[in-house]
Amino acid sequence: MYRNLTRRDVLVRAANGFGSIALASLLDLPASATQRVNPLAAKPPQLPAKAKSVIFLFMVGAPSQVDTFDPKPALEKYDGQPLPASYGTVVSQFTKGDTPLLRSPWKFKKYGQCGREVSSLFPHIAECVDDLCFVRSFYTDSTVHAPAMYQVNTGRILMGYPSMGSWITYGLGSESENLPAYVVMPQPEGTPEGGTPCWGAGFLPAVYQGTVFRSGASPILNLRPPEGMTRDRQRRTLDFLQKMNEMDTLDSDTDMAARISSYELAFRMQSYAPEAVDLARETEATRRLYGLDQKRTSEFGTRCLLARRLVERGVRFIQLYSGGGPVSMQWDAHKDLVGNHEKMCGMTDLPVAGLLKDLKQRGLLETTLVIWGAEFGRLPMSQGGDGRDHNPHGFTMWFAGGGVKPGAIVGETDEMGLRGVGARYSMRDFHATILQLVGLDQNRLWFLHNGRNEKLTDFGGSVIAEMLA
Amino acid sequence: MPSRETACLRARLSIVLLLTAALTAATNQEATFIGARAKYWAYNQVARPNVPPVSDPFVRTPIDAFILHALRQKNLAPSPPLDRIQLIRRVTYDLTGLPPGPEEVTAFVKDNSPAAYENVVDRLIAAPHYGERWASKWLDVVRYADTNGFELDADRPHAWRYRDYVIDAFNRDKPYDRFVQEQIAGDEMFPGNKEALIATGYLRAGSEHVVSGNIDPEVSRQEVLTEIATNVAQAFLGMTVNCARCHNHKFDPILQADFYRLQAVFAGAKGKEVEISTPEEKVAWEAANQAYIARIEPIVVALKALAHPYEEKIAEERKANLAPKLLEALNTPKVKRTPEQQRDASNAEAQINPSWDEVFAAMSPEDKATRAKLREQLHATQMTAPDPLPTAYAFVDTAEPAPQSYVLRLGDPHSRLDPVDPAVPLVIQAGYEIPVAPAARRTAFANWLASTKNPLTARVMVNRIWQFRTGYGLVRTPNDFGIMGDKPESHALLDWLAAEFMARGWSVKALDRMIVTSSVYRQSSVPDAAKAKIDPDNRLLWRMNRKRFDAEMIRDASLSVAGTLNPQIGGRPVRIPIEPEVYNLIFTENERDGLWPVNPDKNVQNRRAIYLYNKRSVRLPLLSAFDQPDDITSCPVRPVSTHALQALSLFNSGYMQEVSQSFATRLEKACGRDRNCTIDTAWRLALSRAPRKPEMQLARKFFSSGGTLPDFCLALFNRNEFVYVP
Repeated sequence: MYRNLTRRDVLVRAANGFGSIALASLLDLPASATQRVNPLAAKPPQLPAKAKSVIFLFMVGAPSQVDTFDPKPALEKYDGQPLPASYGTVVSQFTKGDTPLLRSPWKFKKYGQCGREVSSLFPHIAECVDDLCFVRSFYTDSTVHAPAMYQVNTGRILMGYPSMGSWITYGLGSESENLPAYVVMPQPEGTPEGGTPCWGAGFLPAVYQGTVFRSGASPILNLRPPEGMTRDRQRRTLDFLQKMNEMDTLDSDTDMAARISSYELAFRMQSYAPEAVDLARETEATRRLYGLDQKRTSEFGTRCLLARRLVERGVRFIQLYSGGGPVSMQWDAHKDLVGNHEKMCGMTDLPVAGLLKDLKQRGLLETTLVIWGAEFGRLPMSQGGDGRDHNPHGFTMWFAGGGVKPGAIVGETDEMGLRGVGARYSMRDFHATILQLVGLDQNRLWFLHNGRNEKLTDFGGSVIAEMLA
Repeated sequence: MPSRETACLRARLSIVLLLTAALTAATNQEATFIGARAKYWAYNQVARPNVPPVSDPFVRTPIDAFILHALRQKNLAPSPPLDRIQLIRRVTYDLTGLPPGPEEVTAFVKDNSPAAYENVVDRLIAAPHYGERWASKWLDVVRYADTNGFELDADRPHAWRYRDYVIDAFNRDKPYDRFVQEQIAGDEMFPGNKEALIATGYLRAGSEHVVSGNIDPEVSRQEVLTEIATNVAQAFLGMTVNCARCHNHKFDPILQADFYRLQAVFAGAKGKEVEISTPEEKVAWEAANQAYIARIEPIVVALKALAHPYEEKIAEERKANLAPKLLEALNTPKVKRTPEQQRDASNAEAQINPSWDEVFAAMSPEDKATRAKLREQLHATQMTAPDPLPTAYAFVDTAEPAPQSYVLRLGDPHSRLDPVDPAVPLVIQAGYEIPVAPAARRTAFANWLASTKNPLTARVMVNRIWQFRTGYGLVRTPNDFGIMGDKPESHALLDWLAAEFMARGWSVKALDRMIVTSSVYRQSSVPDAAKAKIDPDNRLLWRMNRKRFDAEMIRDASLSVAGTLNPQIGGRPVRIPIEPEVYNLIFTENERDGLWPVNPDKNVQNRRAIYLYNKRSVRLPLLSAFDQPDDITSCPVRPVSTHALQALSLFNSGYMQEVSQSFATRLEKACGRDRNCTIDTAWRLALSRAPRKPEMQLARKFFSSGGTLPDFCLALFNRNEFVYVP
């Protein structure tokens, strides 16, 4: 069928940029043909979609749920005492459950009309609670960072499976032809433990992997021509190349035509991407909203603002990592919980709240799903007297916009905040829910690999119905 | 999509039932589960079919007879033969991954002898680059890399010997049955043979989670065994046994117990670094190492001395904030501490001892500068460390008897079900004896794999050879010959090839030679709309498939055309310079300098891609953009994607600038400022042919409008014709 598509059609469509999607449907091209020309071309959702874009704010190293969004008054009472025997053995990465319980050093207060409790670590996010949906009983299956990160991102504790962003761009393509469909912005000080496989495409084609974006004039690797190469000079070389390519490309040869159009896309990306990251046109008020005027918040604030700009430009999936590199630049509070969380919250609270408020005032929150979470939480017991070890048994993530129920609380942990009780939610449930929100059916989004129809949710998760608006 | 999906749902519904079947692994229940599916084509012994009696000048080899016969049944005719220039280009790239030299092209075009092409093929098959090309394919399947994977992704300093073993095996045309035996059980079957010992590195090629803390050794052991069993079945048997880790296979007659029986084959052995140096090497190494320690020690001591006062100072300051109880414990002499005080003191130490970045932040500007110089010296000195002693990154039997293996509920090592002993998948050969004694399990299994009676081993390998040379396997899912896999387009040809392969002593070279000298292989790859209507996917091979360069070929071919490729074979992996953006992706909680030591010698860097340091968590952008797999799971077929980031990489990256500059220098040396000569030479080097008239005009126009020679070279490297095997 795709043979009806000629090279000329392809070039016309490539030149039309955004319009190409509409043109493709006018020509009634089969999906296979469109995919050959641009594997990232937008595809219709499988289900009615609530969210068009996703922003996943990933807190590397794991914030403590009992010190942020899941208050546990019992810890005041049991502070310094061992975990009651009824809780059984708790082996974490470095402790073995025999360290004393530790009360939260922070006070909780009720906020918003919904009256959700948030600790004094997040005064700005607290102002947004009426837009947030908290899930307090997620669990992962490893007490070690990298495997748990892989599980949150790819559904498996092993490295090498496609990440959620890859699955979503594989399923939906991109609304933006001039920017990558799936953008990742790690902490400048270093990458998270799980490294690039956290945003890898695994066995899906490489085109679906996350593209690392940096702030600054050249956000994408090799976006800029090398030093000394002027735009004219580059255009001349590109013209020479494209003319040679056209000379030996048969009209029916879509593979070659796709290569030709990929160069035009790349050339356009060179001008669009720097525009997308150019914050000069943002107003002072907006810059302040994200904390760009303050030393502590300007770095993460810049990335949050970039995320909004990318959403506006049709980028499908954006992941921001808060934390990476040295332990002191992660949420991994094995010691000095107070110092660590004050620092990490201080860097992110205002920018995250700014992002939520800005998306809302621009009417983008409705179609943008914002996720805040990490690979696990932290134990209610102490480590080394003033820190907390990893807790994958019950931890909080929150969601905003994109079809989630505002002001809701889903699931709970036990009296100490150690394990989820009642309805506990796996990463399969997490992924099934997100896929549904973006209009994908976990069972219809698959890829045959080494004999298995691989899916993000593996043998299936349950959509968390209480989360849905 | 729908039919498979329905099947999938149905399978999920019956999962409970299947699980029950696995729990009670009684023989007749197993037999019932397998049932008629035992007769599935892939599990039947290979029988040599007759070559179709086709008389036609097209038929040079039996392969041609099979293909022509099938084409005629669909009223299709083969495509015309490729012209000589394109043919030598195709076969040289296919067999060596490198371009033919212009003089090789000319010689072939001029050679009127009847065996001209066969002579070219023989020369290429004998070239050492043949093994490198094959190894790149094999290493995809066995997901070879130079690091462990996961967060620490630590270096495997001796793994490369397995990579070299593979290159050498293909170069020496090691019989495939022996190749299989050595990789599975080289240590057991060929004791004292270093090469066979190194071959067991195959069993450790997969990623391994190595991390500190409270790690459950049983979980880690299970992960290792799972990696092995999964890959052994995919690579050698085309069986997706991994699907049976948690339950009986949903589609294939593979029992959950089969998975754990296969694991049990390897349960008595472990990964081990085995020194293979000679006494002389050892003496020399010890001397070199002593000298190295003498060089590096003073730098390490100086760095410690510089940090020490700051560490003391910070710790002292922090004591003020310690809880009184902790401080008291800390101030109590070690021998006098109560058990509680021992814990408190260790907590106190954890609280007051600063991390490296805290120490660094506290330093005076002068000390920071001194430190920076010292760290530079440290890294420069580290580059002079002697190569480690020759060591095999091996997998060998342990002294103890193998622990009992069990079927594990949903793969959980702590939920043991029935005990199992080592065995081969029942559907293929129930009753094949694998002794339980430790040093015999892998030998028995390897002999079973490498047997001419095994229905899968030869079929799976000839399919890979066919795939490698024609672009697609006869079975297009080379790791999956099961029910969910592709059906062979020509079962008869597959079986004939398998039979021939075994009859020729499992010689990969013999089969390779037969394929590339066939008329089928020599066809043009030009599309034909009328034929495509009948066979859109070209499954019948009415034309040869055009192949996009593998990622590695883009690098190797451009270096070769530029004249700067270092053709050295084998040796330790080489790090090439990486962009700062890529460097930043290396995970460490320690200091970020010296993480990617590069030998500044360009000639060392300009090695073929197969020798580049392959770090699982940090991929080289040019290679990964062009679909180099991540080497985390087995990759039997590389996807071929086309996207804008490839163009950015191939147009703007530092590497492409550099190699274009080298090519320009080569052209300048050959032609000076003579543009006609430049264009002609460039075309012959990069595209193996003379420029056509319009191309000549186009190129001249490019220069006359101010285009530079390096840009001209860059454009040629980006050209469609350059990155495709014709």
